[in-house]
Formats: sequence, structure tokens, C-alpha cells
Amino acid sequence: MALRTIREMGDPILEKKCRPITEMTDKIKTLIDDMFETMYEADGVGLAGPQVGVLKRICVIDTREEGEKVCLINPVVIETSGEQTGEEGCLSVPGRCGQVTRPDHVVVRALNENMEEVEVVGDMLFARALLHEIDHLDGVLYVTKVEGDLKYVSDEEELPEGE
Amino acid sequence: MTTVNTREIVLNILMEVLENKQYSHLIINSVLDKFMYLGKSERGFIKMLSEGTIESAIELDYIINLYSKTPVKKMKPEIRNILRLSVYQILHMNSVPDHSACDEAVKLTIKTKKYRNLKGFVNGVLRSICRNKDDITYPSPEIKYSLPEWIANQWKEQYGEATYIKMVESLGQESPVIIRPRYDISKDELIKSLNDEGVSTRPAPYVDKALEIYGFDSINEIKAFQRGEFYIQDISSMLVGLIANPKEEDTCLDVCAAPGGKSLHLAELMHNTGKVLARDVSENKVDLLTQNFIRSGLTNIEAECFDATVLDDSQIEANDIVLCDLPCSGLGIIRRKSDIKYNMNLNMQDELVELQRKILAVASKYVKLNGSLIYSTCTTNKKENIENVRWFLEEFPFEPESIDEFLPDELKSDKTAAGYIEILPGIFQCDGFFIARLKRI
Repeated sequence: MALRTIREMGDPILEKKCRPITEMTDKIKTLIDDMFETMYEADGVGLAGPQVGVLKRICVIDTREEGEKVCLINPVVIETSGEQTGEEGCLSVPGRCGQVTRPDHVVVRALNENMEEVEVVGDMLFARALLHEIDHLDGVLYVTKVEGDLKYVSDEEELPEGE
Repeated sequence: MTTVNTREIVLNILMEVLENKQYSHLIINSVLDKFMYLGKSERGFIKMLSEGTIESAIELDYIINLYSKTPVKKMKPEIRNILRLSVYQILHMNSVPDHSACDEAVKLTIKTKKYRNLKGFVNGVLRSICRNKDDITYPSPEIKYSLPEWIANQWKEQYGEATYIKMVESLGQESPVIIRPRYDISKDELIKSLNDEGVSTRPAPYVDKALEIYGFDSINEIKAFQRGEFYIQDISSMLVGLIANPKEEDTCLDVCAAPGGKSLHLAELMHNTGKVLARDVSENKVDLLTQNFIRSGLTNIEAECFDATVLDDSQIEANDIVLCDLPCSGLGIIRRKSDIKYNMNLNMQDELVELQRKILAVASKYVKLNGSLIYSTCTTNKKENIENVRWFLEEFPFEPESIDEFLPDELKSDKTAAGYIEILPGIFQCDGFFIARLKRI
């Protein structure tokens, strides 16, 4: 296992559309382990292939509630409903956050790490994470969906204190 | 994706409440509203950790000072609050392993950027507290239960050492949510509909109709609450209405009514006859009162903006019951609203006595001959309670009326026969309160 470098906004790879994965290989197994490790190390709740420089339709999510730790391959959103508005951030846009409105219920069809077809149902934060990561696979960053300003996470960066 | 770090949210809450002296329930509720999309367990964690840390701040500071060379008072505010919320997890939250409390504290320290070089200090202090947590002893109950010294002294002085111990220990007890069924709904009906949606109930002490409720995440999610089938009100507040005991067709005036629970109780006790006028000095609160009254479906109650310290000629000798549930130092309800203890002081108490007397003097004029003035506070301070009553009886044509007929046997005493009840937390099983019934002669 190893930590991978997280690509940041401005890197063109984050704006590209990813290709589906057709078979499980040792390389992809390692990629999955590395993605989880990298996500946990960075204190994230989700990470998508392009964020570690891999243009494949794969993402990992763990929103810390039971049943909300998943690795999804070739995920497709098949159903959404409701609406939630809240602050969101991205490991590729460090130190920033912004308000995004998304559905609050989503059903996703995907393959799991054993290439078995699964259907994942998400509400609230888990739904938000699923949609955010699947956007990455189509080259979409959440900053394009932010309502109002993209804010700094902590005020200190904007207002250095004279100590 | 990244999301907010729950401990970082708690840190921001603590900075507002413990450093900037904001009201904890307002800050916590507005933060929980802002992060509506977080899961139930995360929201519960934020609420539990921030309320717990605020409530226990004196205890936490004492322990931090045992293991830190820099006293809490001299630390950077961010750092002392990171330590407070982490020590709270270590001492009082079994669900959080000690090592994750420490790791998260270090992460938070790094996130402050300005003080990231203090991460070793934070880690060191917390690790030694983890190692020694089973051997901590407290020099006094006020430190163990985080009661400011001046309140401890006042309680000892006014009620004696033995009673003081019971009062301070009550701060460590859970305070259940108490509800009162709407007047047209029977207790049994309500128990059934609550049980049907998974909320359990227990009979509450002293008041027949009241229930304790358990097993829900947020009161707003209870369907019976959304349908308006009950109100949340502590036993002590219900006793105010029962002691006022309005009869059908009475005219009642509540001079400081917000948030309106006691006014509604009076209106209900009169079975939607007569009239209750509920006043408050703030327009915003009056708007909220009006909304609550409309939702109640009662038509004998009305809200109005009026300053209780100003005499209103139109109300002179016009009321059977005048309810004066006045602003007070709140020392009876510290268990529910823990920031009261940090924001109140002796000077403010004395100012409150003056305000209470000013309002009582005005309100005395509004009572019909043979009508009653009900004076209540949610504090334990004798100056605001019995001493105000003594002053009032000397100044105005009133006499105390026995309140025994309105009370269950276990609450009766020579004091209740003499027209008042002094409910102390820890002595009775409800919030601390003072209620007196005074008859216009």
C-alpha cells in the first residue's frame, strides 16, 4: 500500500472524462487499496480515480456510517430524488468549501471490487458523496456547482493575525 | 470529497460560547441547522460533545491544569478549547477510544495553522491525562460538577451544607424531557400514539397529566409533536399554571409571557373560555407567541407587545389572575441550560431584584379585588424569591394564600400553607423554581 499524490484544481486531468474498467487486475486492486489509504490520510470521505491521476471510472467512499464504505467501479446514477443544500469540500480543492444543492436520495448501480454488480442506495451525506465522486469521473468539479462564493475553510488564511 | 470535521464544528461552537459568551442553545441549534445533511450519529455527536464540554468546563479546566505547565487561562483560546473538548471525550464519552480523542486533537491543532507548532504540547497533555484518568480526585464537589464558586457559596449560605450537597449533585443527573398533553387529548391516547411511533413514556412526578419521554433523536421528528398533541414543559412550569388555577371565564394577564408555555397552560385550564393576554417586551418574541397560539387552536389567548415595567391604565384592577413569571438569575435550571452559570453574577442578580420589584409594583395594580398575583422565578436565590415576596406584601395590599389545594401531598409543607413553594434542584425531582400566590385584599 502507498499514499498517492492528490491532484489539485488546475491540473487538466481533473477535467477529463474517465474510461470504464473492463477487468480486475492486480494493478487495480493495488489502486483501490491506495485510494482508501490516501483518502483516510487526507481526512476525506470520498476519492475518485482522476484525483490520483488515474482516468478510470472508479471511486472509493467512506462517510463513516454503517454500510457507507464502498468501492464503486463504473458507477451509474439510476435514480435521484429530494434536495439538500449544504457545505461541501474536495481533496483536490484544499482549504476551500462552498454551498452545493444536490438530491438527498440516490440509487447507484456499479461493480464492486470483485466485479459483481451492486446497487447502492444513499441518503443525505452518503448521497452527496456518491454524486460528488461520480461527477469527478466525468471531469466535473463541485466548484462549478457552488452557489454563492467559494469560501476559505478557516478565516485565518484570509486574515492573518498580527502576533 | 471532504466534509466538515465534527470536532472542528464543536471547536467553533466552544469558541462562540466559552470565549465570546454567546448562548449555547442558540449557537448549537443554528450550527445543527446549517449542517442538516450530516448523518444522525454525527449530529448527535456534535450536540453531545459541545453541550457536555460547556457543562463540564470547570471540571475539565481543573484536570487540564493538573497536567499542563501552562495554565488554561494563559493558553491560546483555540488550544484550550481543543484540550477541553478532547478531555471531555476521554473522561465522559465511552464511545470514543482515548487514542482517537488524542489523534483528532492533534489534527485540529494542525488545522488551526497559527498554532500547529503546539501539536506536541496538546498531544503530551492529553496522553498524560489518558494515563492518569482513573486516579483523578476532586478537591470539592463544585469542581467535580463544574459549579462556579460564587454559586456554590450562595447555595451553602442560603440553604446549608447538607442541602447544598444534594443541589450540586443534581447537576450530574440527566434531566428527562417532560411533556404535557394538549387539553383535548387524554394522557392514555397520547401514550398510545407515542408508543406506536417508538417513543417510550414514563409517568412524571407531581403532575398527573405529565409524561417523561425517551427514545427519540429529535423532538421535531415525533409525529405527535408535529401534530401539536403535546407541549414540552418542565414539571415546575406546569405547577405555575396549576397554582394559578384559573376558573372558567376568568381574565388573566401574563406580563412576561415568552416563550408562552405558561400562558397556553392557563388558556387550556380555562377550557378555551375567558381570556388570557400574553405580553412580552420584544416584538420578535410576540410574533413567536402569536404563531404558537394560532397553532394551539385556542381562541381565548392573545399576544401583545408591552413593557411590563410601564403602567397600562387600561389593565388596572382588570384581572382575576396576573402571572408574573419574571426574568431571573436562572440558577434553578443550570442542569438544562448550562451556560447560565458562566454568564450570571452577583451584580446581575442584584439588578434583577430591582427589575423584579419594578415589574411587581406595576403588576400589583392590575389585579382585581380578591384576584391573585402569581409570582414565579426559575432561580434558587432567596433575594429574588421569598425576600421579594416579603417586600411586596409590605408595600402592597396583598396577602399570601395557601397553595396546598393545588399540590400533591409530597410537595406540601408549612411554606406551601403560607402561600409559596421553594423547589430546589436535587431536593425535588424537577427544575429549581419558586412560586408564590398572593391575593389582592
